[in-house]
Amino acid sequence: MRTKSNLTMTACSRRSVLKNLALSAGLTGVSLAAPGILRSARAEGPIKVGLISPLTGAWTVYGKAHSAGFELGVDEINAAGGVLGRKIEIVVGDSKTEPRIVVEQANRLIRQEQVDFLAGTFSSAERNAAGPVVTSANKVLLYPTFYEGQEQEYFPGVCNKNIFMFGPEPTQQVWPHMEYMTKNFGKKFFMIGSDYVWPRVTNKFTKEKLKEVGGEVVGELYIPFNTPQYDSALRQIRESKANIIFHTLTGSDTVNFRKQYVAAGMNKDFTLWTVDDEEVVTSGLGPDVSAGAYVSFDYFMTIKNPNNEAFLKRFRAKFGKDALMNTVGVAMYNAAHMAALAIKKAGKVTTDSLRENLKDLSFEMAPQGKVTMRGRDNQMVLPSYLMKVRQGWTGVGDMFEEVQHFDSVTPVDARCKSLPL
Amino acid sequence: MNTALSVLVDSTLITFVFALAALGLAVVFGLMGVINMGHGAMLTLGAYFTWFATTAGIPFAPSVLLAAVGVGVIGLGLEHFVIRYFYDRPFETLLLTWGFFLITTEIIKIVFGTDLRTVENPLPGAVVFGTVVLPAYKSMVAFTSLLILVGLALLLFRTTLGIKIRALVQNAEAASLLGLNIGLTYKMVFVAGAFIAGLAGALISPMLSVDPYIGNIFLVRSFFVVIVGGIGQVLAGTLIGSFLIGGSETLFALFSGQVVAQTIVFALAIVVLRFRPAGILRTR
Repeated sequence: MRTKSNLTMTACSRRSVLKNLALSAGLTGVSLAAPGILRSARAEGPIKVGLISPLTGAWTVYGKAHSAGFELGVDEINAAGGVLGRKIEIVVGDSKTEPRIVVEQANRLIRQEQVDFLAGTFSSAERNAAGPVVTSANKVLLYPTFYEGQEQEYFPGVCNKNIFMFGPEPTQQVWPHMEYMTKNFGKKFFMIGSDYVWPRVTNKFTKEKLKEVGGEVVGELYIPFNTPQYDSALRQIRESKANIIFHTLTGSDTVNFRKQYVAAGMNKDFTLWTVDDEEVVTSGLGPDVSAGAYVSFDYFMTIKNPNNEAFLKRFRAKFGKDALMNTVGVAMYNAAHMAALAIKKAGKVTTDSLRENLKDLSFEMAPQGKVTMRGRDNQMVLPSYLMKVRQGWTGVGDMFEEVQHFDSVTPVDARCKSLPL
Repeated sequence: MNTALSVLVDSTLITFVFALAALGLAVVFGLMGVINMGHGAMLTLGAYFTWFATTAGIPFAPSVLLAAVGVGVIGLGLEHFVIRYFYDRPFETLLLTWGFFLITTEIIKIVFGTDLRTVENPLPGAVVFGTVVLPAYKSMVAFTSLLILVGLALLLFRTTLGIKIRALVQNAEAASLLGLNIGLTYKMVFVAGAFIAGLAGALISPMLSVDPYIGNIFLVRSFFVVIVGGIGQVLAGTLIGSFLIGGSETLFALFSGQVVAQTIVFALAIVVLRFRPAGILRTR
């Protein structure tokens, strides 16, 4: 019998059936058309690059110049019309200065954001963490920081055909100046560094060259991160009777150590040679603590180069006249431009074409002069400057005085199992 | 022999520096049972306020005092609006003070920026006797720490206020029945703890990099100092705890690398707590 409830039920179910049919028809239609819509969107959309930078966490201070350099490069490329008619879009991932977050961010950028390639990570520990991710996903990573060189032992963080090194390694940053330092200050080295891969392997390479010039290592100390007191380290240095303190501490430990080193009056008795303390750290230290130290990198804000003057003008126009730039920021800037050049040369955006065209690519407008990415081992050929921190400096303009420089230092081949990469 | 003397001197200086850093926590946690996870943040604030004042042209000593007062005021606010409702709930105070640390750190980054800051050493130079090196500033800080410890001892054991505070710690209910204004006394003790933490951060700032996490290096160590020294033993306990956590590291570093020395120190702390759970100097 057709009761009221029966009627309602039938009406409801008929309505719901019709609704469902319409919905599924719509969905089928959309899903059939979807690839077409998506594909056309991709083809006209921007080229996406994932930037992994330490924007928060212990090394926030380095993150600024790191990301600023890349942003400036991308801005310039986009202002000139982009690459292959497409703009470059930066998708930022904050590494929080932690290698495990780097893995998370790299995965997110690659799988969720679908970036075409990655740029950044800051420390060697972060890069080594990103290594397996970029290998399995087959994406290129542009790495800017001065680092310890490539040893097969640390694959896939190094010796990885997908990772390109835009910063100097010890045979470029340290070796060229070994003769000058040992000749002028003595042959006994005391090595003090933070306890992780970069200082350890850098020291290994430095020892090789030191032995060549007849020097010796009278002390080697590795300090865990966030160590506040250095009295035992300072005592060991005093007792070692070293001539040169070879310094690879980083983060807040470098400031802690250098302040206490100067407070104990030891800067009068030893020469400090640091391969970590660039403009940002030296500004933080202040003139009293930093004066007299020797610093070596491929780039300083005060190097005399027409490219550099123009670059700094554009940099300050965008980020303010007090903004700081350093070797890492410049490497990121070079990486952005060279990636764009490689893509233009290839005519398309794929990992393989990007990799092939970055190899042996030169960039004329780098702030430190023409630079070339050596294809054999993905290492950039760079100049090398040795600077001394001036007494009583007042700003980045007079912070460093040049001791010597080499326009181009060809690095020793990477120690990888099979070259070319 | 000379090395032994130099090690002893280094060890002593460090012990007093650590004692100063831990004293604020010894007062707040040791006396009142408030698990102050924001202790590190108070140290950091002390350091930043000092940086701000010295960059504004104020000489060092007044800057330090201003910084300590500033942190004391912040401690007062924290106590009045938050902590005083939770004196008998340790887990809640743990969470609340950790929240305070997180919020404070982010506010510091916003207000003071994330660039590396530095406070100039007002007493550069060192006095050298053979192999014994006495950095002038560090010695001054150690001496100040000693003065504060002695001052606090005199306060607690020789004044009426001290009696009131000790009564409060022993038995708050009985003390209030006898007419003690426990709300006000709690406030004073907490603010004193915050003031001392700010002072410690300010005095330590010329020796370290001033960044948003500077205080946290001392947070865990301070807790160890207070627990190993004996909760409630604000003076002797803090000194003994500081020696074990700070000074002994200098001794161990003589024979081994830094990592091993730091590990041994914490392992030793665990061993001590295994056999003396209430700390080395137990409260009677």
